[in-house]
Amino acid sequence: MAVTFNDTRMRDRIQLVFSLGIFALVALLPAIVRNEYWQGVLIVSMYFAMLAAAWNLLAGYTGQFSLAPAAFGMIGAYVTGLLSYHFNAPPLVGIPAAVVVSAAIGFGLGRIVLRLRGPYLALTTLSFAEICRLVISNSIEITRGDLGLSVPGIFDHRLTWYYVMLGVLVVIQLGLYFLLRAPAGLYLRAIRDDEIAAASRGVKIVLWKTNAFTLSAAISGLAGALYGHFAQFVSPELGLLSQTGIIVSMVVIGGLATLPGPIGGAFLVYVASEFLRDFGGYQLIVFALLVIIFARFFREGLWGFFRRAIERTGRRPAPAPSAAE
Amino acid sequence: MACLSIDSVSKFFGGHKALDDVTFSVNEGELVGLIGPNGSGKTTLLNILSGYLSADSGDIVLDGRPITGLRPEALARLGVLRMFQLTRVFPRMSVLDNLLVTGSALGLPEAEADGRARELIEDLTLTRMMHLDAGQLSGGQRKLLEFGSCFMVPPRIALLDEPFAAVHPTMKEIMAGVIRRRHAAGQTFLLVSHDMPVIVELCPRAICMNAGAVIADEKTRAVLTDPVVIEAYLGEAAA
Repeated sequence: MAVTFNDTRMRDRIQLVFSLGIFALVALLPAIVRNEYWQGVLIVSMYFAMLAAAWNLLAGYTGQFSLAPAAFGMIGAYVTGLLSYHFNAPPLVGIPAAVVVSAAIGFGLGRIVLRLRGPYLALTTLSFAEICRLVISNSIEITRGDLGLSVPGIFDHRLTWYYVMLGVLVVIQLGLYFLLRAPAGLYLRAIRDDEIAAASRGVKIVLWKTNAFTLSAAISGLAGALYGHFAQFVSPELGLLSQTGIIVSMVVIGGLATLPGPIGGAFLVYVASEFLRDFGGYQLIVFALLVIIFARFFREGLWGFFRRAIERTGRRPAPAPSAAE
Repeated sequence: MACLSIDSVSKFFGGHKALDDVTFSVNEGELVGLIGPNGSGKTTLLNILSGYLSADSGDIVLDGRPITGLRPEALARLGVLRMFQLTRVFPRMSVLDNLLVTGSALGLPEAEADGRARELIEDLTLTRMMHLDAGQLSGGQRKLLEFGSCFMVPPRIALLDEPFAAVHPTMKEIMAGVIRRRHAAGQTFLLVSHDMPVIVELCPRAICMNAGAVIADEKTRAVLTDPVVIEAYLGEAAA
Protein backbone atom coordinates (compact mmCIF):
# COMPACT_ATOMS: atom_id res chain seq x y z
CA MET A 1 0.00 0.00 0.00
CA ALA A 2 1.28 3.45 -0.87
CA VAL A 3 2.36 5.57 2.06
CA THR A 4 0.16 8.66 2.14
CA PHE A 5 0.67 11.84 4.10
CA ASN A 6 -2.71 13.22 3.16
CA ASP A 7 -4.58 11.91 6.15
CA THR A 8 -3.88 14.21 9.09
CA ARG A 9 -3.88 11.40 11.63
CA MET A 10 -1.58 9.23 9.55
CA ARG A 11 0.68 12.25 9.04
CA ASP A 12 0.90 12.86 12.80
CA ARG A 13 1.50 9.16 13.47
CA ILE A 14 4.35 8.96 10.97
CA GLN A 15 5.84 12.12 12.41
CA LEU A 16 5.63 10.69 15.93
CA VAL A 17 7.40 7.52 14.78
CA PHE A 18 10.13 9.69 13.26
CA SER A 19 10.44 11.68 16.48
CA LEU A 20 10.75 8.47 18.47
CA GLY A 21 13.43 7.38 16.00
CA ILE A 22 15.36 10.59 16.69
CA PHE A 23 15.01 9.98 20.44
CA ALA A 24 16.24 6.40 20.06
CA LEU A 25 19.25 7.67 18.16
CA VAL A 26 19.92 10.31 20.82
CA ALA A 27 19.57 7.67 23.56
CA LEU A 28 22.30 5.61 21.86
CA LEU A 29 24.64 8.54 21.23
CA PRO A 30 26.49 8.41 24.60
CA ALA A 31 27.84 5.02 23.49
CA ILE A 32 29.82 6.96 20.87
CA VAL A 33 29.99 10.43 22.38
CA ARG A 34 31.92 9.77 25.57
CA ASN A 35 33.34 13.26 25.88
CA GLU A 36 31.55 15.13 28.70
CA TYR A 37 31.75 18.43 26.86
CA TRP A 38 29.89 17.04 23.84
CA GLN A 39 27.41 15.27 26.10
CA GLY A 40 26.80 18.73 27.59
CA VAL A 41 26.26 20.12 24.10
CA LEU A 42 23.62 17.45 23.49
CA ILE A 43 21.93 18.23 26.82
CA VAL A 44 21.72 21.92 25.88
CA SER A 45 20.35 20.81 22.48
CA MET A 46 17.57 19.05 24.39
CA TYR A 47 16.84 22.28 26.29
CA PHE A 48 16.49 24.05 22.95
CA ALA A 49 14.42 21.16 21.57
CA MET A 50 11.91 21.68 24.41
CA LEU A 51 11.75 25.42 23.69
CA ALA A 52 11.44 24.73 19.95
CA ALA A 53 8.63 22.19 20.50
CA ALA A 54 6.81 24.71 22.73
CA TRP A 55 7.18 27.50 20.18
CA ASN A 56 6.08 25.16 17.39
CA LEU A 57 2.85 24.47 19.28
CA LEU A 58 2.15 28.19 19.31
CA ALA A 59 3.51 29.35 15.95
CA GLY A 60 3.31 26.16 13.89
CA TYR A 61 0.06 24.63 15.06
CA THR A 62 -1.88 27.66 16.28
CA GLY A 63 -0.48 30.35 13.95
CA GLN A 64 0.50 32.68 16.80
CA PHE A 65 3.92 34.05 15.86
CA SER A 66 5.24 34.88 19.32
CA LEU A 67 8.75 36.24 19.78
CA ALA A 68 8.92 35.37 23.46
CA PRO A 69 9.94 31.68 23.68
CA ALA A 70 13.38 32.46 25.11
CA ALA A 71 11.82 34.88 27.61
CA PHE A 72 9.66 32.09 29.02
CA GLY A 73 12.72 29.85 29.29
CA MET A 74 14.43 32.65 31.18
CA ILE A 75 11.40 33.16 33.45
CA GLY A 76 11.35 29.44 34.31
CA ALA A 77 15.07 29.46 35.03
CA TYR A 78 14.79 32.53 37.25
CA VAL A 79 11.77 31.26 39.21
CA THR A 80 13.62 28.17 40.41
CA GLY A 81 16.88 30.13 40.66
CA LEU A 82 15.37 32.88 42.85
CA LEU A 83 13.48 30.40 45.04
CA SER A 84 16.70 28.53 45.60
CA TYR A 85 18.84 31.67 46.11
CA HIS A 86 16.51 33.50 48.49
CA PHE A 87 14.61 30.68 50.19
CA ASN A 88 16.83 27.63 49.74
CA ALA A 89 13.91 25.96 48.00
CA PRO A 90 14.87 22.56 46.60
CA PRO A 91 14.53 21.89 42.84
CA LEU A 92 11.51 19.69 43.60
CA VAL A 93 9.75 22.89 44.64
CA GLY A 94 11.51 25.26 42.25
CA ILE A 95 10.85 23.37 39.02
CA PRO A 96 7.06 22.94 39.50
CA ALA A 97 6.90 26.58 40.63
CA ALA A 98 8.72 27.59 37.43
CA VAL A 99 6.14 25.72 35.36
CA VAL A 100 3.22 27.29 37.22
CA VAL A 101 4.59 30.86 37.12
CA SER A 102 5.56 30.59 33.43
CA ALA A 103 2.12 29.19 32.62
CA ALA A 104 0.42 32.00 34.55
CA ILE A 105 2.46 34.66 32.75
CA GLY A 106 1.82 32.89 29.43
CA PHE A 107 -1.90 32.92 30.23
CA GLY A 108 -1.73 36.68 30.92
CA LEU A 109 0.24 37.38 27.76
CA GLY A 110 -2.18 35.21 25.77
CA ARG A 111 -5.13 37.28 27.00
CA ILE A 112 -3.35 40.56 26.20
CA VAL A 113 -2.45 39.61 22.62
CA LEU A 114 -5.71 37.79 21.92
CA ARG A 115 -6.90 40.18 19.24
CA LEU A 116 -3.48 40.82 17.70
CA ARG A 117 -2.25 39.16 14.55
CA GLY A 118 0.84 39.08 12.34
CA PRO A 119 3.37 41.86 12.90
CA TYR A 120 1.39 43.36 15.81
CA LEU A 121 1.46 40.07 17.70
CA ALA A 122 5.16 39.60 16.96
CA LEU A 123 6.03 43.14 18.10
CA THR A 124 3.96 42.90 21.29
CA THR A 125 5.50 39.59 22.32
CA LEU A 126 8.95 40.94 21.44
CA SER A 127 8.32 43.97 23.67
CA PHE A 128 7.13 41.67 26.46
CA ALA A 129 10.29 39.56 26.14
CA GLU A 130 12.56 42.61 26.27
CA ILE A 131 10.68 44.09 29.25
CA CYS A 132 11.09 40.79 31.15
CA ARG A 133 14.80 40.65 30.37
CA LEU A 134 15.36 44.29 31.32
CA VAL A 135 13.40 43.94 34.57
CA ILE A 136 15.52 40.92 35.56
CA SER A 137 18.68 42.65 34.41
CA ASN A 138 17.96 45.82 36.41
CA SER A 139 16.51 44.30 39.59
CA ILE A 140 20.00 43.89 40.94
CA GLU A 141 19.00 43.54 44.60
CA ILE A 142 16.74 40.63 43.84
CA THR A 143 18.28 38.98 40.80
CA ARG A 144 21.91 40.22 40.99
CA GLY A 145 21.29 41.68 37.53
CA ASP A 146 23.72 40.80 34.77
CA LEU A 147 25.95 38.97 37.26
CA GLY A 148 23.44 36.15 37.20
CA LEU A 149 22.51 33.68 39.90
CA SER A 150 24.16 30.49 41.02
CA VAL A 151 21.67 27.63 41.04
CA PRO A 152 22.26 24.28 42.74
CA GLY A 153 22.69 21.25 40.52
CA ILE A 154 20.55 18.14 40.87
CA PHE A 155 22.54 15.20 39.51
CA ASP A 156 26.24 14.56 39.85
CA HIS A 157 26.63 12.59 36.68
CA ARG A 158 26.29 14.12 33.27
CA LEU A 159 24.75 10.96 31.85
CA THR A 160 21.99 11.11 34.46
CA TRP A 161 21.22 14.63 33.27
CA TYR A 162 21.36 13.39 29.72
CA TYR A 163 18.71 10.74 30.17
CA VAL A 164 16.50 12.84 32.46
CA MET A 165 16.42 15.62 29.85
CA LEU A 166 15.74 13.05 27.12
CA GLY A 167 12.94 11.50 29.20
CA VAL A 168 11.31 14.91 29.74
CA LEU A 169 11.62 15.66 26.02
CA VAL A 170 9.97 12.35 25.12
CA VAL A 171 7.11 13.05 27.54
CA ILE A 172 6.63 16.55 26.06
CA GLN A 173 6.60 15.15 22.54
CA LEU A 174 4.12 12.40 23.41
CA GLY A 175 1.96 14.97 25.18
CA LEU A 176 1.96 17.19 22.09
CA TYR A 177 1.11 14.23 19.86
CA PHE A 178 -1.90 13.26 21.99
CA LEU A 179 -2.98 16.89 22.17
CA LEU A 180 -2.91 17.13 18.37
CA ARG A 181 -4.88 13.88 18.02
CA ALA A 182 -7.59 15.18 20.35
CA PRO A 183 -10.28 17.70 19.31
CA ALA A 184 -7.99 20.38 20.77
CA GLY A 185 -5.56 19.68 17.91
CA LEU A 186 -8.35 20.27 15.39
CA TYR A 187 -9.27 23.58 17.05
CA LEU A 188 -5.68 24.86 17.17
CA ARG A 189 -5.08 24.02 13.50
CA ALA A 190 -8.43 25.54 12.53
CA ILE A 191 -7.50 28.79 14.32
CA ARG A 192 -4.16 28.77 12.51
CA ASP A 193 -5.75 28.27 9.09
CA ASP A 194 -8.64 30.71 9.41
CA GLU A 195 -9.67 32.24 12.71
CA ILE A 196 -12.89 33.73 11.29
CA ALA A 197 -13.98 30.40 9.82
CA ALA A 198 -13.08 28.63 13.08
CA ALA A 199 -15.28 31.00 15.09
CA SER A 200 -18.17 30.57 12.65
CA ARG A 201 -18.00 26.80 13.23
CA GLY A 202 -18.20 27.19 17.00
CA VAL A 203 -14.52 26.98 18.00
CA LYS A 204 -13.91 28.94 21.20
CA ILE A 205 -11.13 31.16 19.91
CA VAL A 206 -10.35 32.95 23.19
CA LEU A 207 -10.15 29.69 25.13
CA TRP A 208 -7.93 27.79 22.69
CA LYS A 209 -5.57 30.63 21.89
CA THR A 210 -5.09 31.24 25.60
CA ASN A 211 -4.61 27.52 26.22
CA ALA A 212 -1.93 27.39 23.51
CA PHE A 213 -0.07 30.36 25.03
CA THR A 214 -0.33 28.88 28.53
CA LEU A 215 0.85 25.40 27.55
CA SER A 216 3.68 26.72 25.39
CA ALA A 217 4.86 28.98 28.23
CA ALA A 218 4.64 26.13 30.76
CA ILE A 219 6.82 23.85 28.58
CA SER A 220 9.31 26.69 28.03
CA GLY A 221 9.37 27.41 31.78
CA LEU A 222 10.05 23.74 32.52
CA ALA A 223 12.88 23.73 29.96
CA GLY A 224 14.39 26.87 31.47
CA ALA A 225 14.17 25.53 35.02
CA LEU A 226 15.86 22.26 34.05
CA TYR A 227 18.54 24.14 32.15
CA GLY A 228 19.17 26.41 35.15
CA HIS A 229 19.83 23.43 37.42
CA PHE A 230 21.93 21.74 34.76
CA ALA A 231 24.11 24.81 34.07
CA GLN A 232 23.99 25.78 37.78
CA PHE A 233 23.77 29.35 36.62
CA VAL A 234 21.09 31.60 35.19
CA SER A 235 21.51 35.05 33.66
CA PRO A 236 19.38 37.51 31.65
CA GLU A 237 21.24 36.32 28.55
CA LEU A 238 18.85 33.36 28.46
CA GLY A 239 16.15 35.77 27.31
CA LEU A 240 18.13 37.55 24.60
CA LEU A 241 16.38 38.04 21.28
CA SER A 242 19.24 36.14 19.64
CA GLN A 243 18.16 33.09 21.67
CA THR A 244 14.66 33.43 20.25
CA GLY A 245 16.25 33.74 16.79
CA ILE A 246 18.02 30.43 17.34
CA ILE A 247 14.78 28.75 18.46
CA VAL A 248 12.91 30.09 15.41
CA SER A 249 15.70 28.93 13.09
CA MET A 250 15.62 25.45 14.67
CA VAL A 251 11.90 25.12 13.98
CA VAL A 252 11.98 26.60 10.48
CA ILE A 253 14.99 24.52 9.41
CA GLY A 254 13.59 21.34 10.98
CA GLY A 255 10.03 21.88 9.77
CA LEU A 256 7.39 24.28 11.12
CA ALA A 257 4.11 22.63 12.18
CA THR A 258 5.64 19.16 12.23
CA LEU A 259 6.41 16.99 15.24
CA PRO A 260 9.97 15.89 14.43
CA GLY A 261 11.01 19.23 12.84
CA PRO A 262 11.75 21.24 15.99
CA ILE A 263 13.51 18.27 17.64
CA GLY A 264 15.74 17.46 14.67
CA GLY A 265 16.28 21.17 13.99
CA ALA A 266 17.35 21.82 17.59
CA PHE A 267 20.02 19.11 17.56
CA LEU A 268 21.21 20.07 14.10
CA VAL A 269 21.42 23.82 14.69
CA TYR A 270 22.90 23.67 18.18
CA VAL A 271 25.52 21.04 17.35
CA ALA A 272 26.37 22.94 14.14
CA SER A 273 26.66 26.16 16.12
CA GLU A 274 29.27 24.44 18.30
CA PHE A 275 31.29 23.61 15.20
CA LEU A 276 30.89 27.19 13.97
CA ARG A 277 31.78 28.66 17.37
CA ASP A 278 35.21 29.72 16.11
CA PHE A 279 33.55 32.00 13.57
CA GLY A 280 31.95 34.05 16.35
CA GLY A 281 28.96 36.13 15.21
CA TYR A 282 29.12 34.63 11.73
CA GLN A 283 27.33 31.50 12.95
CA LEU A 284 24.17 33.57 13.43
CA ILE A 285 24.49 34.87 9.88
CA VAL A 286 24.72 31.28 8.60
CA PHE A 287 21.53 30.28 10.45
CA ALA A 288 19.73 33.45 9.39
CA LEU A 289 20.57 32.69 5.76
CA LEU A 290 19.39 29.11 6.19
CA VAL A 291 16.11 30.35 7.67
CA ILE A 292 15.60 32.66 4.68
CA ILE A 293 16.35 29.84 2.22
CA PHE A 294 14.10 27.34 4.00
CA ALA A 295 11.27 29.84 4.49
CA ARG A 296 11.43 30.80 0.80
CA PHE A 297 12.04 27.47 -0.90
CA PHE A 298 11.45 24.62 1.58
CA ARG A 299 8.43 25.52 3.68
CA GLU A 300 8.34 22.08 5.31
CA GLY A 301 11.99 22.31 6.35
CA LEU A 302 14.13 19.20 6.50
CA TRP A 303 11.05 17.16 7.37
CA GLY A 304 9.76 17.93 3.86
CA PHE A 305 12.73 16.10 2.33
CA PHE A 306 12.06 13.05 4.51
CA ARG A 307 8.36 13.16 3.69
CA ARG A 308 8.98 13.21 -0.03
CA ALA A 309 11.53 10.41 0.25
CA ILE A 310 9.08 8.22 2.18
CA GLU A 311 6.28 8.98 -0.28
CA ARG A 312 8.54 8.05 -3.20
CA THR A 313 9.41 4.78 -1.49
CA GLY A 314 5.75 4.07 -0.82
CA ARG A 315 4.78 4.73 -4.45
CA ARG A 316 7.50 2.49 -5.91
CA PRO A 317 5.72 -0.40 -7.68
CA ALA A 318 6.17 -3.87 -6.24
CA PRO A 319 8.80 -5.93 -8.11
CA ALA A 320 7.35 -7.95 -10.97
CA PRO A 321 6.97 -11.65 -10.23
CA SER A 322 9.84 -13.70 -11.63
CA ALA A 323 9.37 -16.04 -14.58
CA ALA A 324 9.70 -19.04 -12.28
CA GLU A 325 6.61 -17.89 -10.36
CA MET B 1 -43.58 30.66 14.95
CA ALA B 2 -40.64 32.99 14.26
CA CYS B 3 -37.27 31.28 14.44
CA LEU B 4 -35.34 34.49 13.75
CA SER B 5 -36.66 38.03 14.20
CA ILE B 6 -34.80 41.11 13.02
CA ASP B 7 -36.23 44.34 14.38
CA SER B 8 -35.15 47.80 13.14
CA VAL B 9 -31.50 46.87 12.63
CA SER B 10 -29.31 49.71 11.37
CA LYS B 11 -25.61 49.86 10.65
CA PHE B 12 -23.38 52.77 9.65
CA PHE B 13 -19.91 52.60 8.12
CA GLY B 14 -18.69 56.13 8.81
CA GLY B 15 -21.33 58.37 7.22
CA HIS B 16 -22.68 55.60 5.00
CA LYS B 17 -25.85 53.90 6.17
CA ALA B 18 -25.27 50.26 5.21
CA LEU B 19 -28.44 48.96 6.88
CA ASP B 20 -31.51 51.14 7.29
CA ASP B 21 -34.05 49.96 9.85
CA VAL B 22 -34.14 46.38 8.55
CA THR B 23 -37.08 44.44 9.93
CA PHE B 24 -38.29 40.96 9.03
CA SER B 25 -38.58 37.52 10.52
CA VAL B 26 -37.95 33.99 9.34
CA ASN B 27 -40.38 31.36 10.56
CA GLU B 28 -39.48 27.88 11.73
CA GLY B 29 -38.90 25.64 8.71
CA GLU B 30 -38.98 28.49 6.18
CA LEU B 31 -36.57 28.83 3.28
CA VAL B 32 -36.28 32.54 2.60
CA GLY B 33 -34.35 34.00 -0.32
CA LEU B 34 -32.54 37.28 0.34
CA ILE B 35 -31.89 39.14 -2.89
CA GLY B 36 -30.81 42.59 -3.95
CA PRO B 37 -28.22 44.32 -6.12
CA ASN B 38 -24.57 44.45 -5.07
CA GLY B 39 -24.02 46.81 -2.15
CA SER B 40 -27.61 46.52 -0.97
CA GLY B 41 -26.56 45.31 2.51
CA LYS B 42 -27.22 41.55 2.29
CA THR B 43 -23.76 40.47 3.42
CA THR B 44 -23.62 43.21 6.07
CA LEU B 45 -26.87 41.84 7.47
CA LEU B 46 -25.48 38.29 7.45
CA ASN B 47 -22.31 39.56 9.16
CA ILE B 48 -24.47 41.05 11.92
CA LEU B 49 -26.65 37.93 12.21
CA SER B 50 -23.54 35.74 12.55
CA GLY B 51 -21.76 38.02 15.04
CA TYR B 52 -18.97 39.42 12.84
CA LEU B 53 -20.36 42.94 12.99
CA SER B 54 -22.41 44.60 15.67
CA ALA B 55 -25.57 46.51 14.83
CA ASP B 56 -25.63 50.20 15.73
CA SER B 57 -29.28 49.86 16.69
CA GLY B 58 -32.05 47.29 16.60
CA ASP B 59 -32.64 43.85 18.01
CA ILE B 60 -32.16 40.30 16.81
CA VAL B 61 -34.02 37.45 18.47
CA LEU B 62 -33.48 33.71 17.92
CA ASP B 63 -36.14 31.37 19.32
CA GLY B 64 -37.35 34.13 21.64
CA ARG B 65 -33.87 34.83 22.97
CA PRO B 66 -32.08 38.13 22.23
CA ILE B 67 -28.83 37.40 20.40
CA THR B 68 -27.77 40.92 19.45
CA GLY B 69 -24.04 41.40 19.96
CA LEU B 70 -23.19 37.76 20.67
CA ARG B 71 -19.84 36.53 19.36
CA PRO B 72 -19.69 34.26 16.27
CA GLU B 73 -18.74 31.14 18.25
CA ALA B 74 -21.58 31.69 20.72
CA LEU B 75 -24.04 32.12 17.85
CA ALA B 76 -22.72 28.97 16.16
CA ARG B 77 -23.36 27.10 19.38
CA LEU B 78 -26.92 28.41 19.39
CA GLY B 79 -27.33 27.01 15.89
CA VAL B 80 -26.67 30.04 13.69
CA LEU B 81 -24.35 28.51 11.10
CA ARG B 82 -23.05 30.54 8.25
CA MET B 83 -21.49 30.02 4.83
CA PHE B 84 -19.37 32.94 3.59
CA GLN B 85 -19.54 34.61 0.19
CA LEU B 86 -15.75 34.25 -0.19
CA THR B 87 -15.15 30.61 0.64
CA ARG B 88 -13.60 29.93 4.03
CA VAL B 89 -12.20 26.46 4.68
CA PHE B 90 -9.14 25.28 6.63
CA PRO B 91 -6.66 24.82 3.76
CA ARG B 92 -4.03 22.80 5.64
CA MET B 93 -6.52 20.34 7.11
CA SER B 94 -8.09 17.37 5.35
CA VAL B 95 -11.67 17.50 4.07
CA LEU B 96 -12.68 15.09 6.83
CA ASP B 97 -10.99 17.20 9.52
CA ASN B 98 -12.62 20.35 8.17
CA LEU B 99 -15.98 18.81 8.98
CA LEU B 100 -14.82 17.26 12.26
CA VAL B 101 -13.84 20.74 13.53
CA THR B 102 -17.48 21.82 13.36
CA GLY B 103 -18.78 18.53 14.76
CA SER B 104 -16.43 18.54 17.74
CA ALA B 105 -16.76 22.26 18.43
CA LEU B 106 -20.55 21.94 18.46
CA GLY B 107 -20.42 19.10 20.96
CA LEU B 108 -20.76 15.89 18.95
CA PRO B 109 -18.98 12.86 20.45
CA GLU B 110 -15.97 11.83 18.35
CA ALA B 111 -17.52 8.69 16.81
CA GLU B 112 -20.79 10.45 15.96
CA ALA B 113 -18.93 13.41 14.43
CA ASP B 114 -16.88 11.02 12.31
CA GLY B 115 -19.99 9.18 11.10
CA ARG B 116 -21.84 12.38 10.20
CA ALA B 117 -18.80 13.83 8.46
CA ARG B 118 -18.47 10.73 6.28
CA GLU B 119 -22.19 10.81 5.43
CA LEU B 120 -21.94 14.46 4.43
CA ILE B 121 -18.82 13.82 2.39
CA GLU B 122 -20.72 11.15 0.49
CA ASP B 123 -23.76 13.42 0.03
CA LEU B 124 -21.50 16.13 -1.36
CA THR B 125 -19.65 13.66 -3.61
CA LEU B 126 -16.31 14.48 -2.00
CA THR B 127 -15.48 10.89 -0.99
CA ARG B 128 -12.41 10.65 -3.24
CA MET B 129 -11.00 13.85 -1.73
CA MET B 130 -11.79 12.97 1.89
CA HIS B 131 -8.15 12.81 2.97
CA LEU B 132 -6.87 15.63 0.77
CA ASP B 133 -6.09 18.97 2.35
CA ALA B 134 -8.88 21.47 1.66
CA GLY B 135 -6.26 23.70 0.02
CA GLN B 136 -5.86 21.07 -2.69
CA LEU B 137 -9.54 21.20 -3.70
CA SER B 138 -10.97 23.19 -6.61
CA GLY B 139 -12.92 26.38 -5.87
CA GLY B 140 -16.25 24.61 -6.33
CA GLN B 141 -15.25 21.68 -4.11
CA ARG B 142 -14.23 24.13 -1.39
CA LYS B 143 -17.67 25.73 -1.64
CA LEU B 144 -19.24 22.28 -1.24
CA LEU B 145 -17.05 21.62 1.80
CA GLU B 146 -17.93 24.90 3.48
CA PHE B 147 -21.58 24.29 2.64
CA GLY B 148 -21.31 20.85 4.29
CA SER B 149 -19.81 22.37 7.44
CA CYS B 150 -23.11 24.16 8.06
CA PHE B 151 -24.89 20.81 8.37
CA MET B 152 -22.56 18.78 10.59
CA VAL B 153 -25.00 19.54 13.38
CA PRO B 154 -28.52 20.46 12.23
CA PRO B 155 -28.55 24.27 12.52
CA ARG B 156 -31.43 26.30 13.93
CA ILE B 157 -30.93 28.52 10.91
CA ALA B 158 -28.44 28.21 8.07
CA LEU B 159 -27.25 31.52 6.65
CA LEU B 160 -25.96 30.80 3.15
CA ASP B 161 -24.22 33.69 1.42
CA GLU B 162 -24.00 33.11 -2.34
CA PRO B 163 -23.46 29.34 -2.23
CA PHE B 164 -24.04 29.01 -5.98
CA ALA B 165 -21.70 31.79 -7.14
CA ALA B 166 -19.03 30.60 -9.61
CA VAL B 167 -19.63 26.88 -9.13
CA HIS B 168 -20.14 24.19 -11.74
CA PRO B 169 -23.82 23.36 -12.44
CA THR B 170 -23.30 19.83 -11.11
CA MET B 171 -22.09 21.15 -7.77
CA LYS B 172 -24.88 23.72 -7.75
CA GLU B 173 -27.37 20.90 -8.16
CA ILE B 174 -25.73 18.94 -5.32
CA MET B 175 -26.12 21.92 -2.97
CA ALA B 176 -29.64 22.65 -4.18
CA GLY B 177 -30.53 18.99 -3.56
CA VAL B 178 -29.26 19.12 0.00
CA ILE B 179 -31.17 22.37 0.62
CA ARG B 180 -34.35 20.89 -0.85
CA ARG B 181 -34.14 17.70 1.23
CA ARG B 182 -33.32 19.51 4.46
CA HIS B 183 -36.00 22.11 3.89
CA ALA B 184 -38.53 19.31 3.36
CA ALA B 185 -37.36 17.90 6.70
CA GLY B 186 -38.11 21.22 8.42
CA GLN B 187 -34.73 23.00 8.30
CA THR B 188 -34.81 26.83 8.36
CA PHE B 189 -32.73 28.77 5.81
CA LEU B 190 -31.86 32.32 4.84
CA LEU B 191 -30.35 32.07 1.37
CA VAL B 192 -28.55 34.97 -0.31
CA SER B 193 -28.17 34.55 -4.05
CA HIS B 194 -28.11 36.41 -7.34
CA ASP B 195 -29.20 33.23 -9.11
CA MET B 196 -32.87 34.03 -9.67
CA PRO B 197 -33.93 30.70 -11.24
CA VAL B 198 -32.59 28.89 -8.15
CA ILE B 199 -34.24 31.37 -5.80
CA VAL B 200 -37.55 30.89 -7.63
CA GLU B 201 -37.20 27.12 -7.54
CA LEU B 202 -36.09 26.79 -3.92
CA CYS B 203 -37.53 29.69 -1.97
CA PRO B 204 -41.30 30.10 -1.49
CA ARG B 205 -40.63 33.55 0.00
CA ALA B 206 -38.09 36.24 -0.91
CA ILE B 207 -36.92 39.48 0.61
CA CYS B 208 -35.34 42.14 -1.56
CA MET B 209 -32.99 44.74 -0.17
CA ASN B 210 -31.75 47.91 -1.80
CA ALA B 211 -29.52 50.64 -0.35
CA GLY B 212 -29.60 48.95 3.07
CA ALA B 213 -33.40 48.76 3.32
CA VAL B 214 -35.96 46.02 2.76
CA ILE B 215 -37.98 47.04 -0.31
CA ALA B 216 -40.05 43.89 -0.80
CA ASP B 217 -40.99 40.88 1.33
CA GLU B 218 -43.57 38.45 -0.05
CA LYS B 219 -43.93 35.36 -2.24
CA THR B 220 -40.89 34.98 -4.48
CA ARG B 221 -42.69 35.36 -7.83
CA ALA B 222 -44.47 38.46 -6.55
CA VAL B 223 -41.18 39.96 -5.39
CA LEU B 224 -39.54 39.35 -8.76
CA THR B 225 -42.36 41.06 -10.64
CA ASP B 226 -42.55 43.98 -8.22
CA PRO B 227 -41.72 47.20 -10.16
CA VAL B 228 -39.74 48.53 -7.16
CA VAL B 229 -37.54 45.43 -7.23
CA ILE B 230 -37.10 45.58 -11.01
CA GLU B 231 -36.14 49.23 -10.70
CA ALA B 232 -33.59 48.42 -8.00
CA TYR B 233 -31.99 45.78 -10.20
CA LEU B 234 -32.31 47.28 -13.67
CA GLY B 235 -32.93 51.01 -13.17
CA GLU B 236 -35.95 53.26 -13.52
CA ALA B 237 -36.37 52.84 -17.30
CA ALA B 238 -36.82 49.08 -17.01
CA ALA B 239 -39.44 49.43 -14.30
